[in-house]
Amino acid sequence: MKKGKKIYNIVAIMMVTMMILAACGGGGKVSTNESDSKTTPSTNNDTSKDEKEDFSYPMDGSVTLTWWLQLNPNVSATSASLGDTPFAAELQKQTGVEVEYIHPAQGSEDEAFNLLLASGELPDIIERPWYNFPGGPDKAIQDEYIIPLNDVIDQYAPNLKAYLEKEPEVEKMIKTDNGDFYAFPFIRSEDKLRVFFGPVVRQDWLDDLGLTTPETIAEWEEVLKAFRDKKGAEAAFSARPAHITLSSIFMGAYGVQSGFYQDNGKVKYGFIESGYKDYLTLLNKWYSEGLIDKNFATMDQKAYEANILNGRAGITLGYLGSGIGAWTSAKADDPSYKLAGLKYPVVNKGETPMTGQKSLTYETGNATAITTSCKNVEAAARLLDYGYGEAGMNLYNFGIEGKSFTFVNGVPTYTDLILKNPDGLSIAHAMSKYIRANYNGPMIQSGYYADGYFQLDSQLEAIQMWQDTNADKHILPTITPTPEESAEMAGIMNDIATYQEEMMLKFIMGVEPLDKFEEYVAEIKKMGIDRALEINQAAFERYDNR
Amino acid sequence: MKIAEKTMSVEQNYKKGFSIRFKEDMRQNWTLYILIIPVLLYYLIFHYFPMVGAVIAFKNYIPKKGIFGSDWIGFKHFISFFQSHYFFRIFKNTVVINVSTLIFGFPAPIILALLINEIKRQRFKKTVQTITYLPHFISLVVVAGLIKDFTADYGIINDFIAFFGGERRALLNSPNLFVPIYVLSDIWQGVGWGSIIYLAALSAIDPELYEAAEIDGAGRWKQTLAITLPSILPTVVILLILRMGSIFNVGYEKIILLYNPLIYETADVISSFVYRRGLLEANYSFSTAVGLFNSVLNFSMLLIANSISRKVNETSLW
Amino acid sequence: MIKESISRKIFRFFNGLFMISMMIICLYPMLYVLFASFSNANLFMEHQGLLLKPLGFNLASYKMVFKDPMIIKGYGNTIFIVVVGTLCNILMTAFCAYFLSRKNVMFKIPIMIFITFTMFFSGGLIPFYLTVRKVGLYNNHWALILPGVINTYNMIIMRTGFQGIPDSMEESAKIDGAGHLTILFRIIIPLAKPVMAVMVLYYAVGHWNGWFNAMIFLQDRRKFPLQLILREILIQNDTSQMTGGVGLVDQEAIGETIKHAVIVVATLPILLIYPFLQKYFVQGIMIGAIKG
Repeated sequence: MKKGKKIYNIVAIMMVTMMILAACGGGGKVSTNESDSKTTPSTNNDTSKDEKEDFSYPMDGSVTLTWWLQLNPNVSATSASLGDTPFAAELQKQTGVEVEYIHPAQGSEDEAFNLLLASGELPDIIERPWYNFPGGPDKAIQDEYIIPLNDVIDQYAPNLKAYLEKEPEVEKMIKTDNGDFYAFPFIRSEDKLRVFFGPVVRQDWLDDLGLTTPETIAEWEEVLKAFRDKKGAEAAFSARPAHITLSSIFMGAYGVQSGFYQDNGKVKYGFIESGYKDYLTLLNKWYSEGLIDKNFATMDQKAYEANILNGRAGITLGYLGSGIGAWTSAKADDPSYKLAGLKYPVVNKGETPMTGQKSLTYETGNATAITTSCKNVEAAARLLDYGYGEAGMNLYNFGIEGKSFTFVNGVPTYTDLILKNPDGLSIAHAMSKYIRANYNGPMIQSGYYADGYFQLDSQLEAIQMWQDTNADKHILPTITPTPEESAEMAGIMNDIATYQEEMMLKFIMGVEPLDKFEEYVAEIKKMGIDRALEINQAAFERYDNR
Repeated sequence: MKIAEKTMSVEQNYKKGFSIRFKEDMRQNWTLYILIIPVLLYYLIFHYFPMVGAVIAFKNYIPKKGIFGSDWIGFKHFISFFQSHYFFRIFKNTVVINVSTLIFGFPAPIILALLINEIKRQRFKKTVQTITYLPHFISLVVVAGLIKDFTADYGIINDFIAFFGGERRALLNSPNLFVPIYVLSDIWQGVGWGSIIYLAALSAIDPELYEAAEIDGAGRWKQTLAITLPSILPTVVILLILRMGSIFNVGYEKIILLYNPLIYETADVISSFVYRRGLLEANYSFSTAVGLFNSVLNFSMLLIANSISRKVNETSLW
Repeated sequence: MIKESISRKIFRFFNGLFMISMMIICLYPMLYVLFASFSNANLFMEHQGLLLKPLGFNLASYKMVFKDPMIIKGYGNTIFIVVVGTLCNILMTAFCAYFLSRKNVMFKIPIMIFITFTMFFSGGLIPFYLTVRKVGLYNNHWALILPGVINTYNMIIMRTGFQGIPDSMEESAKIDGAGHLTILFRIIIPLAKPVMAVMVLYYAVGHWNGWFNAMIFLQDRRKFPLQLILREILIQNDTSQMTGGVGLVDQEAIGETIKHAVIVVATLPILLIYPFLQKYFVQGIMIGAIKG
């Protein structure tokens, strides 16, 4: 007994000491951390030197920078970090800057980012949707997370500067109302790169039934009915509600777009316009006639993909690559299975649809900023500017010459290392090892990339069809409400979005009769839509005057 | 530690009595106090220290300015929460979902444990235990996918409905069915796992008690009432009190995976509302304020439940 | 006696029937995952509804999973966290539960309130995060162990278990001159084996399934536990659905069958722990042994 007791006492005392030591050890570290962040000068750009002329890559000297970015799933499919890819090695070789990539856990980027800001210990470079920063990009500068880039671009980013001089519209897009540049943008250089989502039809069914490609709403209805009656499609048209909002399909036919848009200089909220009622009437009719998926409201990704693959649905909405491309290859052993893009429907033949999915030239979902913690702003800027020059564009878009691409008649063309990977990697996965054009980054996306990536005729034709809209005239550009306005907007729009989503489904599914539409509009007005429109209108006008 | 000091000062009037008792306590229990020191340190460092941060509920928290540097704004976030268009709806839904899971979900594992306990064949018993606890380990994403598959108009539940002549419909489109689906799937996923603690409590019962009862001629049902239930009652009561202390919590993950705008009117709860709002604003102060509101309600429910329990059957958390 | 046994038999029969149907219902999701993981990816993609056998049996998904370097590393990390973490949990929780289950200790009630209070009030994510960082645990596996070393809920269950042990047991030990530590380790814990088994199960499963702390505290992807990797894979195709919006990115989805194979790989080992702990649940074994 006694011996046992002694041992237990020792164990207990050890545990206590451990805890105390752990606490003290931590205490010691606190002070170093704090002093670290305090002594770090916020910006340190030596503006005196004029290196513009004689600068050339690779930079000499051993510079190491930290770069925080979301790890794209296509990259993580083959590598534990972007830093492990041949792309990163080549970028380091060509620029001379050593980069340590930091990736938050996928799917939790927002939490990770917010904690990162709270900790006050920022990496040198952060890649984020800065345009959507709560309060707007101005706020990110104002709160001293990132530095304004105006001088930096002038001095150290000749490639980006040259591009912006050539493209004043893009320049306008990537700055704030104050004229501040806040990040290195991801630029989609050509129109065909900006469209990648739209309606998809079972072409083999159309052929079977001897139907022509539908263009008007009436023709669509005919086709859907034929699919329902002759092909046994229980869900002739099947798509997720979010996809419908994304593409504004059918809404465009009635002259409205989902969410906020502009019409001749006036900002409008599509979900309260009268055209929206026509759209609801149509969908309600189709739903009650069994042309739209009964599970429409509850559908998840798997159910929706299964529908178009197993013949429950004949028309859906999909992406070029993960839609048409992936589905076609999933049905590779069924030679009769054929998909094709469809034009956005219109009311009268020959009209051009008012709108469809189209992203801006500056992809707001991604931008790369230099933080206030960065001690070597020049190196960071040079590194980030690389993707806008010729050599850098080749690297970011096509990878390593002779390995992942070669020039054929002066056109960069992917090799079989990408297109028919010997290790059996899919094109998307193989690309992600060598390039960044298939997701995003501080770069200009080249049109040749799409030509290389989209291998199917149906994909190339779909791009043409989906592009045929007036979307450019109606999409709201990158307006920047002030931080106060943003906060107010967020408060208003949260309730409105909840109500609008709920009512859209209720109207379509007939839970609420359509004569309640006016009441619905009045309710949204009561929730403050006019104030939100006013804020957006003012911001839009400021944008125009940039 | 602070509380200990406070207690001392309160009892200053009885200084002599106290110090004698204190000395006695220390002499007898000093090893005990050494054991509790790391425990108290743990709570102090990882719970009380961060708790100070809850003040951001009353501030306009800006990460760069820090918790203490941010500006005070008083009850603005609370007011904004109470005044939001959907406050009553999400509050009502939260309570309805929780009360339903409490009424149907709480007794389920107890019943299962009692029934498992009645199985005589050891191997069958072990197999049942092992298999019923499996769903606990399946990721929510997968479970939600299965639930949607089963309730879709082509799903197995509708196969039954159609077999009996009913009409096929997507069940998750009806607001009335959300709560039953949520509660049933909760029981399905958690009943086996939940029964483990009761099985452990059951196994601690002295078999001699049953033998004695058998000799007295008590039937199995009587034995259950007279021996089994009283033996696991402390565990049941403590778990019930703790459960009452989370009556205003509903995890947002499952809700978000299952609901859709069509059934917001019964499915949207406080946490999913805050989740959606957080996406728009990344407003930590707001979610902290809502969290604080929940905590206060939960804690008062716990106190009520605990005092009732203390009066009724003398079981109490403290 | 005969009348009794007939009703017993009927009860047994229905009880058995009920248990079998329970087993079918509870086994199904696991089987679904298992079947899906062995299915042909393309066939599974277009499948809806029940799955009663793998669709075109193949092992391609598992080959893909084991090619992923992160999975093997994740296993190592998880095992370390589960073993070391559970050990720390059990020790600390037992200290606390033992203290609070004693009858004649001063400060017991204030300490109990001090502890229970933390179940309801917390500073939220940011202060917690900053604290752990300041204690110096950032990007360290100990950040997944120390900050949750006692789960108050579990501690209360353990305390309830300790309280259920008859006083006579320790009285006799005290007479023999045993101190608190001897009583705890030699008498209380052995007598409370069923509850201790439950605690090991709760904590071990908690560590095994835990991903949130890893997500916020680990920066180096090579330190990620298995569940975080699993979550990344699972959530990828569903993020858009969780947020109700659809991202403007056209990216290749991870195959559904691969997702299910990862679930199997990440779940099976922890399932094996329960049958192992079950032997401690056999009725009355401990009390009987002590008395004998």
